[in-house]
Amino acid sequence: MRLPMRLPERWSNAPTAIVAIVGLLLLAGIGIIAQNEAAYRDLQAQETRVQADILAASVTAALDFGDAQAAQEAVDAIRVNRQVRTVGVYDGAGNLIAGYGRDGDNPPPRSNRPQAFGSNAVSSIVPVLSAGDRIGAVLLAVDPEPLSRRLTRYLVIGLLVVMAALVILVLGLAQNALRRFNRELEARAAALVQANAELKVQIGERTKAEDQLRQAHKLQALGQLTGGIAHDFNNLLTVIQGSADMLRRPGLADAKRVRFAEAIVQASARAAALTGQLLAFARRQPLQPEVIDVNHLIEGMTDLLDRTLGERIVVRTRLANSVCAVEADRAQLESALLNIAVNARDAMPEGGDLGIETAPHRDPRAGAMIAIAVTDSGVGMDEETLSRAIEPFFTTKTTGKGTGLGLSQVYGFATQSGGDVRIASEPGGGTTVTLLLPCSGAAMQKGEAEEAPPFAGVRTGNILLVEDNEEVGEFAETLLTELGHRVTWAHSGKQALELARRDSFDAVFTDVVMPGMSGLELADELARLRPGLPVILTTGYSDEIAAAGAGGRPVILKPYGLDTLAAALDQALGEKA
Amino acid sequence: MTAARALPAALRLLIAAALALAGAPAGAQPSEAAVKAAFIPKFARYVEWPAGAAPGPRQPFQLCMIGHDPFGAVIDQAAANEVVEGRGVVVRRLAGAEGAAGCHLAFVRGATAAGTARLLLALRGQPILTITDSRAGPQRGIIHFTVAAGRVRFFIDQAAAAERGLSISSRLLALALGVRQRRT
Repeated sequence: MRLPMRLPERWSNAPTAIVAIVGLLLLAGIGIIAQNEAAYRDLQAQETRVQADILAASVTAALDFGDAQAAQEAVDAIRVNRQVRTVGVYDGAGNLIAGYGRDGDNPPPRSNRPQAFGSNAVSSIVPVLSAGDRIGAVLLAVDPEPLSRRLTRYLVIGLLVVMAALVILVLGLAQNALRRFNRELEARAAALVQANAELKVQIGERTKAEDQLRQAHKLQALGQLTGGIAHDFNNLLTVIQGSADMLRRPGLADAKRVRFAEAIVQASARAAALTGQLLAFARRQPLQPEVIDVNHLIEGMTDLLDRTLGERIVVRTRLANSVCAVEADRAQLESALLNIAVNARDAMPEGGDLGIETAPHRDPRAGAMIAIAVTDSGVGMDEETLSRAIEPFFTTKTTGKGTGLGLSQVYGFATQSGGDVRIASEPGGGTTVTLLLPCSGAAMQKGEAEEAPPFAGVRTGNILLVEDNEEVGEFAETLLTELGHRVTWAHSGKQALELARRDSFDAVFTDVVMPGMSGLELADELARLRPGLPVILTTGYSDEIAAAGAGGRPVILKPYGLDTLAAALDQALGEKA
Repeated sequence: MTAARALPAALRLLIAAALALAGAPAGAQPSEAAVKAAFIPKFARYVEWPAGAAPGPRQPFQLCMIGHDPFGAVIDQAAANEVVEGRGVVVRRLAGAEGAAGCHLAFVRGATAAGTARLLLALRGQPILTITDSRAGPQRGIIHFTVAAGRVRFFIDQAAAAERGLSISSRLLALALGVRQRRT
């Protein structure tokens, strides 16, 4: 900052300097002219003297022999020069013998009488010498070169000086202008810097405001979430509590008991679906990816869709043969398609067509993909709705009819699977939701049909249960005992390791999220301690599994039922055997 | 009587004074002979003699009056006043051409025109500036006086001067009424 401050100061004297230089230049020019003039006068005086000398020499004989006529002839010869103003030839006694005067400037009759000739004439008196004797004198007065001619000569110098002065003046002015321009530029730059700073402050404030707004949105969303979940859960809990109360009544008919138990199971299943959706929204659901033939899956879902969507909706599928397989969580994919279909149904209260298409898709970044497009002929969405469609808890449905988590789940699932969701819609023009999933290079697994083999429960063994939660642990122990296993319950990973060191078990069923040693760490330790000992993991959700996977071990998702647990244990014991 | 005698004496004095006063302007317009006499020694200033014939250092020029001398004391006076580059001019009077060797300038005038011609002939070949006067006859030396429009003028025979190894200054040539050019 200091340099630009100093520069203008140093240059502020520039106009004075320019004036001074121009003045000096003019003075120098005048000086040169004056010197030139003086030199010219000197030269003229010298020339006059030389001319007088020549005249003196040429009249020597005439004076010697007193020949005034010859002297006059010599004088007349010199008259040819128009600059000669006065000529006088005097004899030894100082008397005028011959002479000439222009414009009345006649020579004085006696040589010893000095006289001024003209205004500027240069005069010279030289003696006439003959054989060393002074025999007379010659007076010569010469006009200087005419002023016009001298002026012409000085005009060149003057012009040069004036031009130099002009050049310096122009340069100086240009320099001045440049300086002013620079100053303006600096001022502008400074203004720009200030504006930039202001802008930065504004941006900062705006960012802060946006953060606050986002926070407010989050809180609002949290409120909606809490409300929605509370609402749905309360409904389900009402069913469960009511059914449980009814079951407690003595003397209840068997048919009724079965119905109430069924109601509890269904309500629980719906609650589990709800939490599953929440986790999907949080993108924390542990995916169980497998290689899926999407066309096959969709074909398998048409019945379900028909039933879910009702009679007024016609489901049409157009499945491309060339599409690839994807590696994804089957349940999540089904759930996503169902969510989209349900939204489509709600967009077509008067009925309509629902098209499901598959097609190969090539993404410049993700490479080969499959596009699953679900198109309805419903009311469509306006731009604002469209922009918020994926937002969690955003719903156009009335309270209780939707959680606002449907498309959010779809989006969460798609992104977690390395894909994407595209929504195209126009008010009155229907909506197309396209799910993009990356192709899988893995080989298709033994058909997709692994439809949970019916519970066999034939194998039993010595099971080490690891669970830190008392209630869940008690429940699991009960279930395992019911299935015919011998159960040892460890409350922590550390305790489980000690038990495993001491006793021999056929399988380990462990929770993943525990204080201290996690289920995955325990599984790794056990793999070193007792290789070949099967470990089954269970969790509601796990960051660790979501990030690192289960290491090929089976995972049972909470909440789990008797069948799931039995099948998993049966398979594990079978593998060990 | 004395007074009467004295008066004419005073008158004579007065007249003499008046005459003397009147004589000054008469001196400003000197006689033809005086002009010629004044000219003759001055010619030495405008003439160069060959190396052998020129007077030695501090040696005077010799002006010889050969034959008849019409000037007398006037020429002696003019010669005495003349100093040419530190050299004086002495006048020698010779009756004939014999003994003219050593002369630098010579005014030649025989008793008759034929006499003048003879004298000039005798002097031929010698490095002497010969001077003649038209009043004495038409025979011309190197410089030949004449009177034109009431003024004393002269002709110059440059060819004759060149024959004798003399070189005449152009300044003098410029004053001449006529110049006989030398053959080149």
